[in-house]
Amino acid sequence: MERRSRPQGKAPALLLACAALAALASGASALDWPLADPKPAATFGTAAKGRFVSGVLLASEGGLVRAAGDGELVYAFDGSSPTAVSALPSTLGSFAVVEHERGMAGLYAGLAPGSVSSYLTKTKAGSILGTAGASGWAEGQGLLFAVYDRGAERWVNPLLLLPALKDKTQPLIRSAALARGGKSYALGETRSVPQGEYAIAVDVADPPDAPWSAGSPAPYYLRLLVDGAKIAELEYDVMEGRSGRLVLFPQAPKSRADYLLPDGRALVAERFFRRGRSVIEVLVRDYAGNERGASWSIAVE
Amino acid sequence: MEDTGKRRLAAAAVALAGLVYFFVCARPLPKALVLEPRWARTLGAASGEQAAPAAGQPRPAASTATAATSSVAPAAGAPVAAGSAGLAAAAPLSASPQGGFDADSGWIPYRIAGNYGYFDEEGKVALKAASPFGVALAKGAYVAYDRLPESLLLRSASGRELARVTEAGYPFFSAGRLFVMRPGQSSVAEIGPDGKALWSRDFPSIVTAFDASPGLALFGLMDGSLVGVGADGAELLSFAPGGSRVAGVYGCAVSPDGLMAAAVTGLDRQRLVVLERRSSAFRVTYHRWLESDFRRQVSMAFTEDGRYLAYEIPSGLGVYDREKRAESKIAAAALSGVGLSSPERGLLLALEGGGASRGLLVASPSGRRLFTAPFAAAESFLARRGDALFLGMADGSGSASILRMDFKEE
Repeated sequence: MERRSRPQGKAPALLLACAALAALASGASALDWPLADPKPAATFGTAAKGRFVSGVLLASEGGLVRAAGDGELVYAFDGSSPTAVSALPSTLGSFAVVEHERGMAGLYAGLAPGSVSSYLTKTKAGSILGTAGASGWAEGQGLLFAVYDRGAERWVNPLLLLPALKDKTQPLIRSAALARGGKSYALGETRSVPQGEYAIAVDVADPPDAPWSAGSPAPYYLRLLVDGAKIAELEYDVMEGRSGRLVLFPQAPKSRADYLLPDGRALVAERFFRRGRSVIEVLVRDYAGNERGASWSIAVE
Repeated sequence: MEDTGKRRLAAAAVALAGLVYFFVCARPLPKALVLEPRWARTLGAASGEQAAPAAGQPRPAASTATAATSSVAPAAGAPVAAGSAGLAAAAPLSASPQGGFDADSGWIPYRIAGNYGYFDEEGKVALKAASPFGVALAKGAYVAYDRLPESLLLRSASGRELARVTEAGYPFFSAGRLFVMRPGQSSVAEIGPDGKALWSRDFPSIVTAFDASPGLALFGLMDGSLVGVGADGAELLSFAPGGSRVAGVYGCAVSPDGLMAAAVTGLDRQRLVVLERRSSAFRVTYHRWLESDFRRQVSMAFTEDGRYLAYEIPSGLGVYDREKRAESKIAAAALSGVGLSSPERGLLLALEGGGASRGLLVASPSGRRLFTAPFAAAESFLARRGDALFLGMADGSGSASILRMDFKEE
C-alpha cells in the first residue's frame, strides 16, 4: 500500500521557518524553554548509543517541565501507569507529546514516572507537563526536548526555535585528521601523507559558558574547504527518515554510520588528495553566532 | 362406550407424541460454563533466587501446588460461576503460539510485584528472580536488564545463557521474536538466537504502538503512519491513515497469520482501521470513526484464531468480526489489558478495573458478558493454556500468588 500524502503539506514548515526567522530577527522566539535555567548536555545531531540525538538534552534534577508553547497534549506515556498496556518498552521513559502551533509536535521525554500530567488536553505556554527525571535510556537526569515538523515530516533542531543561549565562547576545533584504511593522520602533527582518497574527520564541540554543564554540544554550522574549494557545508537544522535510516543534512544526507566515528569525531567529507601541498580549512559556528576557524597545510607524496 | 374408546385413543396419541418428541426432538439443557479453581501458589516476596530445572528437562508433575494460599483466592474445588466473586487478574498481552523464542513452551512466564520467572501448569515455579529494572519474557527465553544496558544477556527459560546481544536499548518479545528498542524510541533491531541483529531500522518519528506475528512486525508512529516489516527486515506495509485533525497511532495489532493488521489512529476524530493482505499488498477492508479520544496507548489484539479483533473503547471493549465484517460492544470498566482469547471455547478474556479493584471479564465475541469475576489486587497478570487460566495477583506489599482455574462445563 502506498503511503498517502498528508493533508498538512510542506507549507507549515515554510511558515514556521519564516516565523522562526522573523522571531529571531525581532529577538523573540517561537517556543520557550521547557525548563528554567536550561543547561544543554547534548544537542541536535550528536551521537547517543547508535542514534543521533533528535533534540536537545537538558540537564536537570527534578525541575518542572513546562509546555514550550500553546498547544494540545496528544499523547502521554507514563511508565508507572496501569495503562501501559503493550509489551513495547519506552527508551524515552515517561514522555508527553504536545501539538504546538503550525504542525510542530513537541516531545518531552525522560519525565519522572508518575509525574506526567496526562489529564491535560489544552496547554498554554508554561503549563506544567511533569518533572524532569531519570526515566528511560538516558544518562543522567534531565529532559529530552525535541520538535517534529509534521508538515515536512522531519525533526527540527529545537535550538533554532528556542530563545538564544547567552554564550560568548567560541566553539572548539579539537582536532582534524585524514583517515584511510584504518590509519589516521592528525593534521598539525603529520607533515605528509601518501597520495590517495581520505576521509576528513573533524572533532568539534561548542564549549558552553560556565552555566552549561555536562556534554559537548555540537556547533550549529561547519564548513570545510580544501585548497580554497568548499567541500562540505553542514548545518545542524533538520533530520529526517530516508529508506529506513535517520539522516542529518538532507541536502547531503548522512546517517550516523556515515557521519560519526565511535570516538565522536565527525566524518565530514571524502576527498582525493593529489601530489603536492594541500590546505585544509575548517570553520565552525555555534548557535549564538560565535565562530572559530582553523587551517592546516599538508604535503601529499 | 364409544367416548371412552376415543378418550383412550387420544391419550395413547398424546403419549406417543410425547415419546416421539422425547426421542427425536428434545435437546439436552445446555451445560453451564464455569471456572473451577485447581490450585493456588504463593510466589512470595522478591528474592532474586533461581530454582531452574536442568535445560531440556521435562516438567515435573503437580504435587507442589498448594491450595488457596491467597486471601483473595476461592477455595480449591469451588467452581466460580457467572457473576460470582473471588478472582484476580491483570494485564499482559499474549504472544503468538508459534515462533522462535516461544518454541519451548513448557513454561509459562510471569512478571509481578517486582519478580519475574516461570511456572508450569501444575504450579511448580521454575524460576523466580527480582527484576533489576526491566525484563522481557517469552515462553522459551528472557532478558533481564538494568536502566542503561550497553548489551543484553539472552537466557533460556531455565536460566542458561544463550547469547549476548550487543545492542544498547530495551528488549521486548512478540510472537516468539526478540526486538530491541534503541535509545530515542525510533530505531529497532530484531535479534536472532545467536544474539546478532537480523535487521535494524530507523523510523522517521517515535514508535508509539507495536505488535507482531511471526512474519510481520507492525510499528505505529507518532507521525500517524503504520510501517510493517517482514521477518527479513523488508518493508511490507507503509500507510498513513488520514482524515483526523491530529495524526498519530495509538494502538495496533497483527493477526497471528500476519494477514490482518489494525490500528486506532488520529485525534478528532479517532478512527479504527483494518487492513488485509491481498496478494502482496495490504488494503483497507474496514474502517470506522470512533467516539473515543484516547491520548495514550490503546490496548488491542486479534484473537488467536485471527477471526476477531478486540480493542479498547471508552465503554469497554469493541469487537470486530473479520468474517461478518461487523462489530459488537462489550460493556466493561476501564480495561487494563485486552489480548487473551480461547478459540476452543469461543471466548474473549479481558481484565478490567484498576487500583485495588479489578476483574476478569469473560465474554462471547457477539458482545455478551458471560463471567465477571471481581477481585482485589494491586497488580495482576493473566495467562492461558488450553482450558487453563492462570491468574497472578499481588497485594501491593510485594507478595504475590498464582491461581489456576480451568474452564469446565457442568
